[in-house]
Amino acid sequence: MVAKWPPEGGRYKKALVVSSFKDPYAHEPADLSIEGVSKTFRARGRSVLALASVTLKIRRGSFVSLIGPSGCGKSTLLRLVAGLETPDEGTVLIRNESPHSFRARGELGIAFQDPALLPWRSVRRNVALPLQVLGKNVNAHRQRIDALIELVGLTGYADALPGQLSGGMRQRVAIARALVTDPSVLLLDEPFGALDQILRRSMNQELQRIWTARPTTALMVTHSIDEAAFLADEVVVMNAEPGRIVQTIPIPFPRPRTPGLFAAAEFHAVCDRLAAALDPGGVR
Amino acid sequence: MREHNKAALWLLAALAAWEIAGRTTPTVRDVIATPSLILAQYLSDGGLYLPHLAATIRSASIGFLFGNSIAIIAAILFCRVPAGASAFRGVNIALFAMPAIVVGPVLAIIFSDNLPQVILAALVVYFPTMAATLVGLRDIDPRLPDVIRTYGGGKNAILRFVRLRSALPAILAGLRTAAPLSVLGAILGEFGSGVRWGLGSFLLGSLGDADPARLLGIGFAATAVALTGYGVFAWIGRRTVGATMAVTIAADRSPDTIGADEKYSWGKRSALMIVAVALPFLLWWLILRVFELSPIIAPGPVETLRYLLVGPSGAEACAALIAALGQTLPLAGLGLICGIGAAFAAASLTVLRPAAANAILPVAMLLQSMPLVALVPLVLLVFGRDTAATLVMAVLVVFFPAYVTLAQGFALVPGAARELVQVYGGSRTKELLLVSVPYAASYLFAAAKLVAPRALLGVMVAEWLLSGKGLGNLLNASRGLLNYDMVWAGALVSILISVAAYEAVSLLERLF
Repeated sequence: MVAKWPPEGGRYKKALVVSSFKDPYAHEPADLSIEGVSKTFRARGRSVLALASVTLKIRRGSFVSLIGPSGCGKSTLLRLVAGLETPDEGTVLIRNESPHSFRARGELGIAFQDPALLPWRSVRRNVALPLQVLGKNVNAHRQRIDALIELVGLTGYADALPGQLSGGMRQRVAIARALVTDPSVLLLDEPFGALDQILRRSMNQELQRIWTARPTTALMVTHSIDEAAFLADEVVVMNAEPGRIVQTIPIPFPRPRTPGLFAAAEFHAVCDRLAAALDPGGVR
Repeated sequence: MREHNKAALWLLAALAAWEIAGRTTPTVRDVIATPSLILAQYLSDGGLYLPHLAATIRSASIGFLFGNSIAIIAAILFCRVPAGASAFRGVNIALFAMPAIVVGPVLAIIFSDNLPQVILAALVVYFPTMAATLVGLRDIDPRLPDVIRTYGGGKNAILRFVRLRSALPAILAGLRTAAPLSVLGAILGEFGSGVRWGLGSFLLGSLGDADPARLLGIGFAATAVALTGYGVFAWIGRRTVGATMAVTIAADRSPDTIGADEKYSWGKRSALMIVAVALPFLLWWLILRVFELSPIIAPGPVETLRYLLVGPSGAEACAALIAALGQTLPLAGLGLICGIGAAFAAASLTVLRPAAANAILPVAMLLQSMPLVALVPLVLLVFGRDTAATLVMAVLVVFFPAYVTLAQGFALVPGAARELVQVYGGSRTKELLLVSVPYAASYLFAAAKLVAPRALLGVMVAEWLLSGKGLGNLLNASRGLLNYDMVWAGALVSILISVAAYEAVSLLERLF
């Protein structure tokens, strides 16, 4: 499956893995460039090679899912992009900049599995937190904060405390917070990992809607095969010991994708391909 | 609210039983008076109480204010600069373990008027507030720093947006523990400085008459002041933080939790350890320099060691100290073992009766906040001035905090593990022996670390006020004889022993 380049509408949605296959567009500038990155963690005398010389390039405006078993380094990869970890070897560049200088401008948004809200702050003030950390005037952005709260479907809850919200609602607050600086790169670390399957599917719908309304380059770590396939333009499959990229599988379905897709035979075929890539030795 | 009513009813019933027993049995009345006699004594002593109360409350409040301010600032610095926490480990452990009563006479040499009481109050509140604050600043949602850092925020931004507000419930819990301690510190300071006014001075002056109604009245007054402080901060905590916070060991964390978990190289760790040991002595020397005190009344670390180790006077001083320790340490050790043993037995029995445990825990929590000097009148009246009285004092001051810690340990036994025994038809007793006791045994060390210094303090207070033996008496007598060298040496030795006892329990804990 080869996408038209550039696709209609002028938005570039394409993720490439240089190391694993030949890409005809490898010369195009990447939004996110991870080159030969290795990272070792040491704990109690043991050292674990979390990432072994990983190379990954992600085009501007594409949605990429990272999937793989526990310990394959997918979260580490995301944390490297956020500048929360530094690589032992190799480079991480976002638009030819280091993550540190890129994030200092508020160009990076992040959401975790644990929504990590400040329990003493209202929804509105939680969403405003990144602006405060960046030293911006929160009052000047009040309208966009309220618009974001509306975008994630929490109209009327702006003054509620996190403790008064359900798990799914808290996760929406975290996503609104991730979007408040109008980031050009959005990082999602298992954002719906703590939710039940039913809620998770509707949150996947929501995320697609939000992402379509405010396009960014998105990198999402997930454990769920169908979540990865439903949301992404391209799924990067990783494996553990050592953490590495095994395969990159493009997801061809047009957008907007509807819940009906979960039942489609083509969707299942893609999921099977992903499962096979995740567990090459498994019986299929 | 219903719990409060129930507690009030029990209190009233106990008072009524006491009154009836006192009225019907003269021996009971002669030993512990009756509530009505105590009340009558209050009315006739009314004019005396006000200046005594005012003096103690004043010293305690000022000490509370300064000690806690320093504690919170120190906790923020230790959180921000973890190496600082390691460097100050010696100072922190010394402040945690010091038997406060030995510090009073030393402070009385350096400072005058009410300052010794104020400073002692500040010193005793420092550790619990600092520890609770530091734990509150450190125990945060681990994702929150990631969020702040993703937007370019550094450690200061994490402190400002996350840590300070997260620590608020812990700080309030620390202040709640500190409030009764400040009263204890002020009273112990009054013993040392020999001022005219204060509940401690009142108690000291009344011990000779052994009038049960007045002595118990003073004990109740000291308890009431201390528990009012506790209540005020418990109320503020509930009002401002909302949800009832877990009343845990957090407020009384032992100094172990304060050391940084940073991974230092061997060299850096050794350097920090040397600094940690040297710093208390350095501060001692520095304070004497700053106040320009004559070495005759205020010897520094070197002079004190020389006094103990050099020449015939050194041998004499050592002999006196060793003789005193021979009386003090066995009692402290025995009191510690009996107190913890009784606490463990009581806590494990409450497993058999969970409803009783729920009823007892709040009472024990209150009683552990009771200033231990308030127990002196009761111990004197019931047990006299013998060795038995000293031992009872040690057991009592050990029992309540140990019970609270252990009861919390028992409460944390996983329900599933206990239900497993029930599912196989095991009785409550079997459940206790197979699951709860082994599980809660690990809390024995936490309890022992917490109360080991208290056992020594309890024995020394009893020796000072009642028995006239041992280290407590040696310090009191040296103070009266203006033997300054011995006051300093005795204080140093008792603090070192307390720290050694604490470290010994820590070592045992690590070995198991």
